[in-house]
Amino acid sequence: MSQVEERIYKGVERGQQFDIWVDGEKIVAYEGETIGAALMAAGRRTLRYTNKYERPRGLYCGIGLCQECRMVINGIPNTQACQTLVTPECRVETQQSNKKRGMKID
Amino acid sequence: MIESEFAIIGGGPGGITAAIEAAKAGVNVTLLDENERPGGQIYRQLEEGFKVTDPGVFGIDYEKGLELLGQFNSLSDRIQYLNNATVWGIFKDSTLAFTHGATSSKLSFRNLLLATGAYDRPVPFPGWTLPGVFTAGGAQKLVKTERVLPGKKVLLAGTGPLQLVLAYQILKAGGKIEAILEASNININWLKGLKGIWGNWDFLKEGWGYLRNIQKANVPLLRSHMILAAHGDGQVEEAVIAKVDKNWRPRPGTARKMPVDTICLGYGLVSTTELALLAECDHTYDLGLGGFIPLRNENLETTVPGIYAVGDGAGVAGSKVAIEEGLIAGVSVARSLGYTSDADAKNHIRCVQKRLAKLNRFRKLLDEMSMPRAGLFELTNDDTIVCRCEEITLKEIKDAMADGGTHTKDIKRMTRMGMGPCEGRMCGPALIEIMRRQPNAHPDALECLPPRPSIKPIALGVLAASGRGE
Repeated sequence: MSQVEERIYKGVERGQQFDIWVDGEKIVAYEGETIGAALMAAGRRTLRYTNKYERPRGLYCGIGLCQECRMVINGIPNTQACQTLVTPECRVETQQSNKKRGMKID
Repeated sequence: MIESEFAIIGGGPGGITAAIEAAKAGVNVTLLDENERPGGQIYRQLEEGFKVTDPGVFGIDYEKGLELLGQFNSLSDRIQYLNNATVWGIFKDSTLAFTHGATSSKLSFRNLLLATGAYDRPVPFPGWTLPGVFTAGGAQKLVKTERVLPGKKVLLAGTGPLQLVLAYQILKAGGKIEAILEASNININWLKGLKGIWGNWDFLKEGWGYLRNIQKANVPLLRSHMILAAHGDGQVEEAVIAKVDKNWRPRPGTARKMPVDTICLGYGLVSTTELALLAECDHTYDLGLGGFIPLRNENLETTVPGIYAVGDGAGVAGSKVAIEEGLIAGVSVARSLGYTSDADAKNHIRCVQKRLAKLNRFRKLLDEMSMPRAGLFELTNDDTIVCRCEEITLKEIKDAMADGGTHTKDIKRMTRMGMGPCEGRMCGPALIEIMRRQPNAHPDALECLPPRPSIKPIALGVLAASGRGE
């Protein structure tokens, strides 16, 4: 069986390629992609853990409504990965539960 | 404060068409769009940085969109286009508030058009919160405009022709689909049966094209089948599927496991109506048309004078209907502002109404086929999460109902359901249908979770950065 590659090269030419940092690890991204798409292309599906039960959540609605893809992007928590374009060297972290992040709100 | 004689919220086909029509008549239009560029979900363009080398892979809608957007752009002297503008409140004094980058601003309008569109119907079932479960629209956005596949072994589950469109796009992009589950008992040749409806040949041609591609790729299209659960350790590893009866209830003994890593859910769309509800437009509930939809007169004006609504946000009917409705709203506003004579407007609207009637006949058939059936709202177990944000289970809803919660807003108050950052968009549509099916349901339980400003999360800093006195 041939391996399916997530990034599709048919029909488009991509812009500049650069690296972004995800939980300290380097992954490849292209100009114009959202962080959500770059993570899906890298096979990284868990974007955050929930507050109450600390369960993994990923990209779900993909159009900015469901708020499941909230990550810590360049130090700012609760940033939607599906709505944020990659920038060279941007730093993305899986968002942990409020408890783990040392917040008292529950 | 921005002053506008005609403000439009939403840059999809309905909003764009209304803007074009009104601007052509002389109206100065302000269009507020949440997205970077106009087009909405259906005509969404690729981000800067991508260069399209083969427009053929983007399908018919893409080309139609280019044409409409060309017209829209050519009227930029009369249409003020505000991108990345999220409207978060509408107030009684004919003003609205929106965030625009790092600030929040206000706008006062004489006429307002809500062209807010629709989103995939959220359907809670065991495992629907696992990473790897996408809405069909979310998967489509990934494939169409980001050129990334949602996964390697994909299962499509849902109903209606939009699933076929997504399947076609995934296959064209080189992806692999394990199966397409169609909940209804639609004959594989159902499109043939629609031949009798005159004037919709391009619909048929599109549909045939999608089906042919799916058959050529040997993707099983399983009719009367639904997904019951998703399993996996940290992400989707398998789906449990079953044959269902005409009410979409699983047939005993037919459940089986299917190894997949990705599930795309396409059970039709629900209207985005928070703004219409905030503006206190009267609504009616119609499950087939997308849930709560604003009531409108023949000019598509809501029950609040000067506020109009068009497109999927006022009843899910697709882009062709949205365009026709946009025409009517654009002309109506131009008339109310005195740019178009009553007679001209009337003639114009009559022509459009005729085309709409034809489209609606066709839509009715599609709606009947993909109308959500009872079984769709019975997939949840007691420990299934219904509210994704606050992690509220079916059991908690039942307990709240047993404790005297009869209205949706009681459940909200008692459980925190719908109080999370999605503001009830993901749980609200299912909550109504789930509550209705409980033994102690109250007939008045059919109310939506009332939206409150801000209808989308805003950082306090953004509000603080808005101008003094706004």
